[in-house]
Amino acid sequence: MTNPLISVENLTLRFKTDEGLVTAVNDVSFEIAPGEVLGLVGESGSGKSVTAKALMMLNAENSVYDAGSKITLNVDGKQHDVLSLRRPAEQMVIRGGAISMIFQEPMASFAPAITIGEQMVEQLMIHSPMTRAEARDISIEMLTRVGIPEPTQRFGQYAFEFSGGMRQRAMIAMALSTKPRLLIADEPTTALDVTIQAQVLELMRDLVDDFHMSILFITHDLGVIAQTADRVAVMYLGNLVETGTVRQVINSPAHPYTRGLLNSLPKLDDLEAPLTPVPGDIPSPLDRPTGCVFHTRCVESGDIAERCRTEIPITTIGADNHRVDCHLANPGGQA
Amino acid sequence: MSDILIRANNLSVHFPLRGLGFGERPVVRACEGINIEIEKGSFFGLVGESGSGKTTLGRAMLKAAPISKGEVLYSDGEVNYSLGEIQKDELKDYRKRAQLIFQDPYAALSPRMTVRDIIAEPLEVMKLTSSREETDARVREIAAMCRLNLEHLRRFPHAFSGGQRQRISIARALVSGPRFIVADESVAALDVSIQADVLNLLNKIQAESGITFLFISHDLSVIAHTCDFVAVMYLGQIVEAAPTRKLFSETWHPYTRALLSAIPSLDPDVRGHAQKLEGEIPSPINPPPGCRFNTRCPHAQDRCRSEVPAWREMSTSHHVACHFAEELA
Repeated sequence: MTNPLISVENLTLRFKTDEGLVTAVNDVSFEIAPGEVLGLVGESGSGKSVTAKALMMLNAENSVYDAGSKITLNVDGKQHDVLSLRRPAEQMVIRGGAISMIFQEPMASFAPAITIGEQMVEQLMIHSPMTRAEARDISIEMLTRVGIPEPTQRFGQYAFEFSGGMRQRAMIAMALSTKPRLLIADEPTTALDVTIQAQVLELMRDLVDDFHMSILFITHDLGVIAQTADRVAVMYLGNLVETGTVRQVINSPAHPYTRGLLNSLPKLDDLEAPLTPVPGDIPSPLDRPTGCVFHTRCVESGDIAERCRTEIPITTIGADNHRVDCHLANPGGQA
Repeated sequence: MSDILIRANNLSVHFPLRGLGFGERPVVRACEGINIEIEKGSFFGLVGESGSGKTTLGRAMLKAAPISKGEVLYSDGEVNYSLGEIQKDELKDYRKRAQLIFQDPYAALSPRMTVRDIIAEPLEVMKLTSSREETDARVREIAAMCRLNLEHLRRFPHAFSGGQRQRISIARALVSGPRFIVADESVAALDVSIQADVLNLLNKIQAESGITFLFISHDLSVIAHTCDFVAVMYLGQIVEAAPTRKLFSETWHPYTRALLSAIPSLDPDVRGHAQKLEGEIPSPINPPPGCRFNTRCPHAQDRCRSEVPAWREMSTSHHVACHFAEELA
C-alpha cells in the first residue's frame, strides 16, 4: 500500500456567524491515492466545496477548524501538515503548487481585463523560476494539449472572447501548467452543454493518465461521477455518509441517502421508472438533527427510528473499504 | 386528427442588431422556419443546447418575442388567435390563457411581497376576482394544489428553499386558470431530489387539469421522463420531433444521436461512449448555409453545405430534417 497523496482525518469546520457557530463539515475523513479520481457528491449545502477548499486553506476568515482536524499532504517524500501552514509563503506549497483548483464558472475565474496568456504566464513565474519566454512556451503548449485551436492567437485574447467550453479548457490548461499532484475540480462541467461536457470529461480522463495526478471531482451529478471517478464519497449536511468504489456506491449503495439520490434520477434505459424524491428539504446547518443527520428525511429507518433519532451512527466498513454511516448496516451497534 | 392547441407554421424570429451605419444590418436568426404542433393536453418537450433558440421559441408562443415570419395559431375551443396579428384586447385575454414558469425561482419572486400577494397578483392585475374574499379563496385552492401550507402564504420568499420557491412560481402561473403553460428550464437550478419532486408535481397538475405544457430543457433525460412528445432544436431550427418513445427507439438525426450519447451513463462500466461532436454551436448571426448542423456533423457531405434539408415525416408524427437520415440509420 503506497502512501496516500492526501489524507483528511476528522475534519470539522465551523463558521462564526451572527447566528452562532455553523457546522459546515463534521468529522470527515478520507484519503486520495496518487493517480486516483475521488468523486465527492452531494446536494447544495452539503459541504462539498467547503471540504475541498479546506485542502487549500481557502475558506473565509471566519472559519474555525476543530482541534482534532488534520490534513496531511505527501509530496516528493515530504509530509506537510496543511492546517498548520500559516504564512502565505508556506501556503504556496499547496496553493497552485501541489494542488490546483478549477471552478464551475470559468468566466468568474479569469480576470476580465488581463489576457488569458498573461494570467497563465504570471502564475507559472510565481511558482517556479523561469523566464517570461519559457512561461509563454509552456502556456501555449498547455493550451494546445487541452485542444484549443490556434493557441498562439488565443494566448493574447481575453476571457470574454472565449466560449464557455473554451474557457473551461483554458482554465484546465492554466491549472495543470504548474504540474500539480492534485487537481480539485469543483463542478467543472455543470455550466456546460452536454456535448461540450462530454468533450471536457474525456479531456480530463486523458490528462489523469498523462500527468498521473489525482483529482477530487466535486459534482451533484451522479452520471458524471459514474463516468469519471474511481471512488466516490457521498456527503450530506457536512457528514460523509458513504464512501466506496464507484461500482459499489452506484451499483449497490449502502446508505439510504445514496439510494434516495439514485431513485430521484431520471434513467434513460427505463422511462417508466417513477421518480422518487427524497422527501423534505435539507435541514439548516444551524439546526442540525440529533443522532443520524439524515434521520429527518430517511424512509428506511422503520423499527429503529428512535435509535436513528438519538444515536450517531458509527462507520461500518465492508468489503474493499466500503464505508457507510448508518445503523441499518450495523444492527448490533458494535464497532 | 386530434385537437391542436397551438401550432407554429414556418415561424421565424429575428432580432436585428445595431449595424455599422452602412450595408445590411446584422440579424440574429434565433428561430428559422419552425413547424410544430402541440396537442391539447399534452406534455411537449423542447430540448436543445444553449443558443439553440428554445427559449425564444417558447416566448414567441406566448407572444413575448417578435414573430418575424410565419404564424403562431392558438385555438382552445373558445377562442382562436393568430399571435402575429393579435389585437390589444385579445392579447389581454391570451395572457390569462397562456402562462410562463421561469428557470430561477430565486430571481422570479419579488422579495418584498408575501407569498399570498405573489400568487394573488395575476388575479388582481387581470381583474379575475371581484372581492378580496374571492381572491383569498382562489389563492388557497391553488396553494393547496401546489402543496404549500396556509401559514406559508404570510411569509416572504427568502424563507423558502429552492424547491418550495419553484412551487410558489408554479402556483402563480396556475392561478389565472391557463390552458397553456411554458415551463422554461423550470428544474435546471434544483438539486436532483427536489427536481424529481417538482417534475412529479407538474405531471400531476397536467393529469388533473388537462393543461397543455411546453416544457423547455437542456436535459434530455428529464424530458424523456416527463414529456410525451419531444422536439430537438439546434441553432434556431427543429431537427427532429417525435413521440418520446419513438425518438429514443428509432433516432433519425445525427444531432439527436450525439445528444443522446453525450448524457453521462450511470453505469461505471460504460465509459467514454459519448459520440464526440467536434467544435461548438455556431453563431445565429451568421448560420452556416445548407443544414445548420453541417459544421459539426461527422457525416456532412457537399449537399449538406448547400441545400437546406426538408422537414420530412419518417413515420406517423415522427419528423426529421436531414438529407441522409435513411442512409445513416
